[in-house]
Amino acid sequence: MDIIVCVKRVPQTAEAEVKVDSSGKDIIRDRLTFDMNESDTYALEEAILLKEKFGGAITVISLGSVEAEDTLRIAMAKGADNAIRIKAEDFGELDGYKTAQLLGSVIKDIKHDIILTGCLATDDYYAQVGVALAELIGIPHATLVTKIDIVDSKAHAYRELEGGLLEHLEINLPALLTIQTGINEPRYASLIAIRRAAKKEIKTVGKADIAGGEIMQHSTLEELFTPPVGKRAEILTGSMDEIATKLTDIIKGKGLL
Amino acid sequence: MNFDLTNDQKMLQNQVRKFAEAELAPVAPEIDKSGEFPWDNIKKMAKLGLLGIIVPEEYGGSGFDFVSLAIAVEEISRICASTGVIVAVNNSLTAYPILQFGNEEQKKKYLPQLCSGEKLGALGITEPNAGSDVAAMESTARLEGDHYILNGTKRFITNAGEAGIYVVFAYTNRELKHKGISTFIVERDTPGFSLGKHEDLMGIRATANCELIFEDAKIPKENLLAQEGDGFKICMNTLDVSRIDIGAQAVGIAQGALDEAVKYSKERKAFGQPICDFEMIQSMFAEMATKIQAARLLVYYAGYCKDKGMPRFSKESAMAKYYASDIAVEVARKAVQIHGGYGYSKDYTVERLYRDAKILELYEGTSEIQKIIIARDLVK
Amino acid sequence: MVDIFALVEHRQGVIRDITYELMTCGRTLAEKQNAKLTAVLLGYNTDTFIDNLKSQAHRLLVIDNEIYKEFNAETYQMTLAEIIKKQNPMLTLIGHTAFGYDLCPSLAVHLGIPFTTDCLEIDVADHKVKITRQLFDGKLNAHVSLRENPSYILTLRSGSIPAQEGTLSTEIEKIEAPVSAEPDYRKFIEYIEAAVGEVDITKADILIGIGRGIKDQANIALMEDFASAVGGVLACSRPIVDAGWLPKDRQVGSSGKTVKPKLYIALGISGAFQHIAGMKNSDAIIAVNKDPNAPIFNEADYGIVDDLFKVVPVLKNKIVELKQAKG
Repeated sequence: MDIIVCVKRVPQTAEAEVKVDSSGKDIIRDRLTFDMNESDTYALEEAILLKEKFGGAITVISLGSVEAEDTLRIAMAKGADNAIRIKAEDFGELDGYKTAQLLGSVIKDIKHDIILTGCLATDDYYAQVGVALAELIGIPHATLVTKIDIVDSKAHAYRELEGGLLEHLEINLPALLTIQTGINEPRYASLIAIRRAAKKEIKTVGKADIAGGEIMQHSTLEELFTPPVGKRAEILTGSMDEIATKLTDIIKGKGLL
Repeated sequence: MNFDLTNDQKMLQNQVRKFAEAELAPVAPEIDKSGEFPWDNIKKMAKLGLLGIIVPEEYGGSGFDFVSLAIAVEEISRICASTGVIVAVNNSLTAYPILQFGNEEQKKKYLPQLCSGEKLGALGITEPNAGSDVAAMESTARLEGDHYILNGTKRFITNAGEAGIYVVFAYTNRELKHKGISTFIVERDTPGFSLGKHEDLMGIRATANCELIFEDAKIPKENLLAQEGDGFKICMNTLDVSRIDIGAQAVGIAQGALDEAVKYSKERKAFGQPICDFEMIQSMFAEMATKIQAARLLVYYAGYCKDKGMPRFSKESAMAKYYASDIAVEVARKAVQIHGGYGYSKDYTVERLYRDAKILELYEGTSEIQKIIIARDLVK
Repeated sequence: MVDIFALVEHRQGVIRDITYELMTCGRTLAEKQNAKLTAVLLGYNTDTFIDNLKSQAHRLLVIDNEIYKEFNAETYQMTLAEIIKKQNPMLTLIGHTAFGYDLCPSLAVHLGIPFTTDCLEIDVADHKVKITRQLFDGKLNAHVSLRENPSYILTLRSGSIPAQEGTLSTEIEKIEAPVSAEPDYRKFIEYIEAAVGEVDITKADILIGIGRGIKDQANIALMEDFASAVGGVLACSRPIVDAGWLPKDRQVGSSGKTVKPKLYIALGISGAFQHIAGMKNSDAIIAVNKDPNAPIFNEADYGIVDDLFKVVPVLKNKIVELKQAKG
């Protein structure tokens, strides 16, 4: 089973302070750490588990700057066989659609039975690249997948819907599945695998290598800004004992004590 | 000249950092409290190849260099100093002397066990009456038929309580003074070998630090490392190497303390503003960060000297170990200071880091010994 | 007159709340644009749905066929593509839900229409679309414009526009399904209900919600203690479930349970929108978080900016004392 995994290197912002830079269109990046997007790490792990079960080769692809090669190399250390970087520096501002077209133009020449992506990138929050990509290359898709079974060369995917409900569907291969976090337990790369991966080549694809029509962009980021403050909580202050007293008064006031 | 990490070093750093943050951070405060040896995590680290970082693949190791070992130990120690030294001891105090001085049978027999975590390693030099003065050791070994009969007591031995393979030093000929010291590989189930007191330490509390007691312990003749009388040379060379990763441990503890202090200073308010806005705090941060970076470069350089195959790098590794230990204690102390009273409470990580840091100035040669090594190189 | 489409979302025979939010959004835009709002309903046995949707839009376009009984992105895409091609709405609104995730990007790509996802606010002027959305784990907002085009497709985040009563008179128009069967390459099999645990967090009066800030699985016991002292039940945000520290049935949020307790105490939860979506209708919310800028403080009634491990023990003792004094 040949698998393609699309991964993205993103700033780790969940627990970091994020500030807008002077252009007003980007964030100050130098103090942030960058790593593989969270749900992509689950997608990669799922690909490795499928490969361990069914054999085949895994190709990881990232549209990113040269630093994304570090991310791709770690993916190879974990178990991917080949890696391709599409040179983001060649393509200017990217939206989900443009990203999907660039990925698609590379993927169409690579044999695959399944394409896996994360369900959402934590930097742009679009959750659209995987599905747009599936449509562009003409294969079926399912999003938010939390379990995959392969039965009679078809995929049974379990999608996570709202409220904890799962949707079980059957999908023909090749298909594209976007993977939700928690589907598996992503591994760490072993040191030996790291040493081997360090020597592996990463193929790069630039503007000159991408044939075909115009790459179109749908959306343009005009301005980044700190969200307006909504209804704010009344912040309780004082000694810990005073705070606890205020809290118990509030809880009592609701008739809950 | 090039300050960039190589691709494999960058990846190693990334994965070890992730591992440490996800797997070590949750248990670090607990094992500090209980003193329990972190076997679960040691086994996970064995699987990743962290117990044999500098051991070649043919002996079950990961085949990395000493700069890489330093990077790994720094990342681990940033989160858990106990785990950091457990890994350092297994690599450079046990696997390294066997790799460097052992014969092929010894390497084939012991290195894979050390790398897989099947048996952990420990090193026995220090004795109740012999610390900095190694040649004052009282342990003796005499050859009787196919066995050496080992007598003596080793003290403050990291990993001792949980290890399976010990590299132990003893006199085979007292008259030759330090040239009469020999080195033995001792297995845990050796008759006449037992564990003594478990030390209740101030810091690095989860390191199974114990006494080794040898009472007519029977060591097979073939477990002599190198030749009789090579012990002192093995000891000095091993310490030169291990000081690189004790330096790395110091950098890790210091970095951990600085990270905690910066985070706290943004959260904590005094006089109506976050304390990170105060210049006195900022001055401390500037000093801490600069010293950490200087120490890290000294550590990397010492590792580089070893990796390059320089025959002697005692001065370089002594400088790295001395300086990094010194600033780690200082940085941890300042991190406590920045936390104010909370820094003195066990609720905050810096309290543990401050206790953990102190050992750095004491083990693998005190700071005073490091200075002697450095100075001797200048005036000899 | 131009048309704005808003897609009705339903599951297991029930219209989902996002539908009314989409209609509210659509009515506002239609009024501003002097456009007509069309609610598009694909379903099977749609009579009750139709009743529920009266007054929501100017027009209700109904395609009733067994193939729409359950949601299948491919069937929906083929159908909507036909309708949009024929009727040329200037804007099609879809929920940014598990349904919309699956449908919007491929539908838009298929039609070659500019699209974007996860909009918080949508503004249309002179046929140009400007939207507001969140980036970087919800820490920043952005204004995004779309390439000018006669038609657009957008998905709207749940809960970003509060649903309002509709007051329009709705003309109902039924049309035949333009497709005849679910495609054979993607088939709906079944829904699987979440396993029922011992505890039903939706029934509790007091919920203690824990998040990343509890740091360590070992601290779960401490939180359990606190919850039982308060007389509440432990719930959590997604990272706690992903880490395997609590079972899935304790998860509050868009992919977990929606809860409305009398009191929700959020401990070490920063307040990602997916979590907020599941608990914002609680009667009272108390949040404890070290980060004064944590979005949870925008939802909470009362906040404590401090380490939860300092707050919890003191609060627990106080409550135990009070209960003993009473008892």
